[in-house]
Amino acid sequence: MTSAVTCEGLWKTYQRHRPVGVKTLLLGTSPPADTRFAREWALAEVGFQVPHGRSFGVIGANGSGKTTLLSILLGTVQGDRGRVGLNGNVASLLELGAGFHGDLSGSENVFLYGSILGMRLAAIRQRFEQIAEFSELEGAIEQPLRTYSAGMVARLGFSIIIQSGADILLIDEVLAVGDARFQAKCHGALREFRARGGTLLIVSHNMKEVTEVCDEGICLDLGRVVDAGPMAGVAARYQERMAVAEPARGASRAGR
Amino acid sequence: MTEARAERAPGAERSLPQLAELLYLLVRKELKVRYKNRFLGYVWALANPFAFAFVYWIAFKFIMRLEIENYSLFLITGMFPWVWMSVGVTGATRSFIINASLIRKVNLPRAILPLGNVAQEMVHFGFALPVIVAFLWFAGEIRPEPSWLWQIPALIALQVAFVYPLALAFALANAYVRDIEYLVGIGFSLMFFATPMVYPITLVPEAYRPWFELNPLHALMQSWRSVFLHGTMEPGHLAFTAVFALLTGIIAWLLYRRLAPRIGELV
Repeated sequence: MTSAVTCEGLWKTYQRHRPVGVKTLLLGTSPPADTRFAREWALAEVGFQVPHGRSFGVIGANGSGKTTLLSILLGTVQGDRGRVGLNGNVASLLELGAGFHGDLSGSENVFLYGSILGMRLAAIRQRFEQIAEFSELEGAIEQPLRTYSAGMVARLGFSIIIQSGADILLIDEVLAVGDARFQAKCHGALREFRARGGTLLIVSHNMKEVTEVCDEGICLDLGRVVDAGPMAGVAARYQERMAVAEPARGASRAGR
Repeated sequence: MTEARAERAPGAERSLPQLAELLYLLVRKELKVRYKNRFLGYVWALANPFAFAFVYWIAFKFIMRLEIENYSLFLITGMFPWVWMSVGVTGATRSFIINASLIRKVNLPRAILPLGNVAQEMVHFGFALPVIVAFLWFAGEIRPEPSWLWQIPALIALQVAFVYPLALAFALANAYVRDIEYLVGIGFSLMFFATPMVYPITLVPEAYRPWFELNPLHALMQSWRSVFLHGTMEPGHLAFTAVFALLTGIIAWLLYRRLAPRIGELV
């Protein structure tokens, strides 16, 4: 049986190159490379597999490469070496509602965001009631999005994603939105999603949450997998390490 | 399984109807956000080209007394396709930067963003068409020709094929070299006067005229004028425009293949 998500020997380095100006092009001079945050690898030899219907956690300190890993899986950033494979429709929660527009109403945003995620209009129409109901926005769904609170925006975004028909969800640190009751509702929806055979890949700093939601996971440090296995153990060992980690090491990280 | 460094841009697996719907929603979003469904919004879309045409009419016809027949018709018939092209391409050049969150957070086919700008300006042009036709009728006594029913859609298709590769190429280049967006703006200002837009090509000294004829923008604009003013299409200009569109299309596609995968890190 093939896995839902496969990642083998993945390497990634962010080049020092920045968007350049015409002056640089014409004169051929570039400012000296900023080496303060230079680090050879953003990801080094990262590999793991997630079977269908499982939930996988990725933890690690800031700048350890978690978001880079999700971006490469999603395809918005390219790796340098290695293989990634995703078996199914992917939707990302790298950012809830990337593509939402404040001047459009909630329901118009449902259509726009749904389409951005790859849904057909007919499917959005068909599931609109469920999306609206899950979001608990009620009458506010016809109001412009800019009048929403952050929690309302997040609720709408999550409601669309969960109805998007994706088989694989990549989630980056976005479950910590909404009040406790709505969070519980999200977790319930994610459980249902997995029961239907959906696969989750979650990046989080909330150890309690990943331990609860994820079966297995990895811990990244400076782009390398330093720990892997059942999530509870990985999270516990990570917390131990963080408790004794010397703060000076933070200076050698490249944030992205 | 795909190589992590695949020669494929994000969102490549989406089907055509899916992309068409997405394009429709993106364009509708822009129009809605800009005009908020007000009727006046429709008027604003027309105001800019008309204001330009009016200023040039005052300057060249009224003040400098240029002897050109039907000068106002000449200006109007070129101005609207020009504004479609220049506003569309200038907007598209910034499209990757403006939509950075989409580029970085969603596996969207990136080429659709500059296409959105081109399509949006095409809609504006469509809004303007009835006004152009009315203007031709009342100011120039040019009655709408039945042949316009196929000539105008054909030219619209040709113009999309002409403009989109430019829009895509500049958008890609701008992700790498941020100054491109300013250069594109300046470039269109210069090209507006280098192309016979406010003067007919017959006023250009004969020795230089072949150089002006080499300008593909001139061939495109002249195609619009001959349809609107005479109801005819000149095969030479059409062929020149089509060949140029094909060549830039190939270049833009190669650039897209090569540059698009990286822009997730650049915007």
